[in-house]
Amino acid sequence: MGVSIVPTLKVLKPVGMIVGVGFVGLLVGYFANAAFFPGTTPVQPIEFSHTIHAGDYEIPCLYCHTEARRSPSAGVPSVNKCMGCHAIVATDSPLVREVARHYENAEPIPWIKVHDLPDFVHFPHNRHVAAGLECQECHGPVETMDRVTRMAPNEMGQCLTCHRDMEVEHGIDCLTCHK
Amino acid sequence: MPNIDRRSFLTLVGAGGVGAGAGFMLSESRKHPVEHLVPYPVPPEEFSPGIATWYNSVCSMCSAGCGISVRTREGRAKKIEGNPAHPVSQGRLCALGQSGLQALYNPDRITGPLVRAGRRGELEFDPATWEESLAELANQLELMRTAGRGGGVALLTGGVRGHLASLLELFMSWLGSDQLLHYDFNHPATLYAANERFFGESELPYYDIENSRYVLSFGADFIGHWLSPVHHGLGFGRSRQARDGIRARFVQIEPRMSLTGAAADEWIAANPGTEGILALGIARRIVDQGGYQGADLDAWRAALDGYAAESVAEQTGVAADTVARLADSFAETQPGLAIGGGATGNHSNGVDALVAVNALNHLVGNIGVEGGVIFNPPPAFGPTASRQAGLSRMLELAEDARAGRIEMLIVSNTNPVFNLPEAAGFAEALADIPQIVSLSTFLDETTAQADLVLPSHTYLESWGDDAPSPGVGFRVGAVSQPVVEPLYDTRATGDIVLELAHRMGLDLAFPWPNMEEYLKYSWREVWSSGTPDPAIPDFDTFWTSVVRAGVWGDETRAPGGEFAPDAGVVDGIGVGAPEFAGAEGEFPYALHPYLSNGLHDGRGANLPWMQELPDALTGVVYGSWIELNPVTAEELGLSEGDVVAIESPAGSIEAPVLVYPAIMPGVVAMPIGQGHEQYGRYAHEHGVNPIDVLAAQTEPGTGALAWAATRVRLVPTGGRVDLVKVGGDSRELGREIVQIADAGTPAAAGAPTVASATDAGAAVGIDVPAVGAEAAMANTRLNSIPITVVNT
Ligand code: SF4
Repeated sequence: MGVSIVPTLKVLKPVGMIVGVGFVGLLVGYFANAAFFPGTTPVQPIEFSHTIHAGDYEIPCLYCHTEARRSPSAGVPSVNKCMGCHAIVATDSPLVREVARHYENAEPIPWIKVHDLPDFVHFPHNRHVAAGLECQECHGPVETMDRVTRMAPNEMGQCLTCHRDMEVEHGIDCLTCHK
Repeated sequence: MPNIDRRSFLTLVGAGGVGAGAGFMLSESRKHPVEHLVPYPVPPEEFSPGIATWYNSVCSMCSAGCGISVRTREGRAKKIEGNPAHPVSQGRLCALGQSGLQALYNPDRITGPLVRAGRRGELEFDPATWEESLAELANQLELMRTAGRGGGVALLTGGVRGHLASLLELFMSWLGSDQLLHYDFNHPATLYAANERFFGESELPYYDIENSRYVLSFGADFIGHWLSPVHHGLGFGRSRQARDGIRARFVQIEPRMSLTGAAADEWIAANPGTEGILALGIARRIVDQGGYQGADLDAWRAALDGYAAESVAEQTGVAADTVARLADSFAETQPGLAIGGGATGNHSNGVDALVAVNALNHLVGNIGVEGGVIFNPPPAFGPTASRQAGLSRMLELAEDARAGRIEMLIVSNTNPVFNLPEAAGFAEALADIPQIVSLSTFLDETTAQADLVLPSHTYLESWGDDAPSPGVGFRVGAVSQPVVEPLYDTRATGDIVLELAHRMGLDLAFPWPNMEEYLKYSWREVWSSGTPDPAIPDFDTFWTSVVRAGVWGDETRAPGGEFAPDAGVVDGIGVGAPEFAGAEGEFPYALHPYLSNGLHDGRGANLPWMQELPDALTGVVYGSWIELNPVTAEELGLSEGDVVAIESPAGSIEAPVLVYPAIMPGVVAMPIGQGHEQYGRYAHEHGVNPIDVLAAQTEPGTGALAWAATRVRLVPTGGRVDLVKVGGDSRELGREIVQIADAGTPAAAGAPTVASATDAGAAVGIDVPAVGAEAAMANTRLNSIPITVVNT
């Protein structure tokens, strides 16, 4: 037995503990963030519930997101549209009152985007609606969500799989989406 | 549980904390950045998010008045295209027109009213409110008006046409002032005067390049900047390629090859200022050869007596047999078209020279015929008398200012401090005007001198209308509508004037609440002047359709009418030798300033796209330069990049040399547009302004600035710079890019023949087989745009 490693271990032990505790902290921080502040389920400025509107009352998606039928962007309803019903419906709800306040002050509501594609992807809602796709195919069962969460990855594989399965003309050409 | 001392415990807590923080941030960094979806509280009816809305309007970047269609998304202007229904631009647009967006979104726009805080020209301004500024200004104006001193107000604007011009007239007449002036560096005053003398009308005719078979141009850079470049470019393209198998011939005469000259079959350099003499030499030959048989033949013979080929050759430097050849081919080819402009009209003999060019059209019978010169009907609306001020009128204004006769100068979107020669002393005269108010959009050199700045909208935010001049041979009117909401706290010029009138208590004379209402009111008259259309039962329908289409008017031109000049006119024909400022011995070179491709007269210098646009012929980007023929450069021992002082009797500037083969020896060419001291971050401190060294030389009849009539000398400074150029070398280096074919025989089918006449004075003849009619471009129908939504 030449050189003993015991002294070295003695020095390393506290360093190991520090690194170990730090690593555990890292994991805790990482998952705590993901659990309590999920990027895929942002907290909206007004807690609008799709469960009530699309679920319980079965209002069709395109009733509010009208533009999806004719425009590349689906659009979110104008405050005006909300007030179309809420001028008489549930006027005493605090959330509805908040909407009414925006309407009276002509102040737009800064909703947070849940589903987003990179700017280099051209995704026209109108063509997909025209092709008879259900909104849920990409957006998930929104009618069951109080807070909308991003279900599908909305990544290129998803687009290509679907375009292949449905035998979309030029569906897998680069320029179909990247233009 | 191991024993942990306090120190270790704190260390471990610290480690855990740092780890947790790092983990949190790591997770955060992997998230999608938060983006908002912000819907309108109440959306405008006419658009959907994600779908473009197009508005038709009118380009105001130069005075051609092209029709534009602007693509907007969610209330923002994204792209400007030509309005296909507008007969001037027919769906096309020039580079300057494209960059109108950069005027709209320019970061150096004046964003609200300003009052001067420091000394004049020091650019120290305090923000002000419209309410207070207008109230005070109106008060001042009303006091002057009631005291009978309204004549002390001068209103100086850029080239304004249509009902805005009428409104300004009305306003100034109520003030009791005759000092309403439009100043535009590029205004072809001498052409108006020449037309008045020869045709009896001070109007611009329609030059039917499209249907001509022979275009003989004296100095007119008609696809660059002259009059209506987009329209000319279209017509030129069709005359060269698209018509029943015959390609029109085109000869350009100018001392420095312009963009237009580069497209010519034959480019001829005559001594600067002698183009009119050359025209008369050609006229003489036509008459001698029996090409003209009018009743006044003897008068013509007498008038042209002094223009025999030899003497013309001696004065112009163009060989006698070239003169004869040009004359014979021009007389033979019908219909032909002679046009004159640019530097030809901006010499001391400019009007005489342009009359000589008009005379050529008459001698070969090309006036009032398709493919020749066609008279325009009077403008559909707007004032008839021109308020365009030449140099001498501006000098009068300066004189009035010095004599204390101008109490207030209101200046609107024109920049005489930059665009007048320093020798004119206009900038100094401003110091004698007690109050200067600017209604300009940008802080240019003139606005920098203002005491009060009431910034106007850009044209993309304003209501307006236009009756283009030159017209297209038939009546055309166009409405310009806002395509976006105003970006800043600015107002439309018309609205400012109406507001002032109202505050002065002139409501009865100005009963319109704003420019839009004034236009509607005025257009009722336009409506009733047209042929009744059962599909348009009332004015509102008419107005909606005009605004939607962006244009209104007739669709066909009616050439015709016999034309003969008055006897006195023929007797008076003659072009004298040009007079230059600066003796030839002391100042050996003629300075040939030209409007640069993108910067125009300097107005485009604050647009980054235009600053980045390389000069089409030399390939130089950024800054200023002078162009010298290789012979001249060699004489002076100069090569590319050598900085020289350009000294004239009026001043001196410095610029680097570019050796350019397509310019006459003995001529120094220089682009106009750079050399701004103000005008925003993109414009200022780039290059120099050749207008600074121009002598205050005028064409005597019109008082217009003869900007091609200054001589200079070149003094090497010893400095050197590298010119930034695209395209590398202008020589062929054995690549056989230029192929010369005989002008008489069509080039062999197959490889297209490309000509770039880089060899000064070379006649490059090319002929391209016909490519068939351009059916899509053939017809212009008004009211045919389906995709425009009316702005309400
Ligand atoms: S020529 Fe160009 S700048 Fe002038 S009006 Fe037409 S598009 Fe505009």
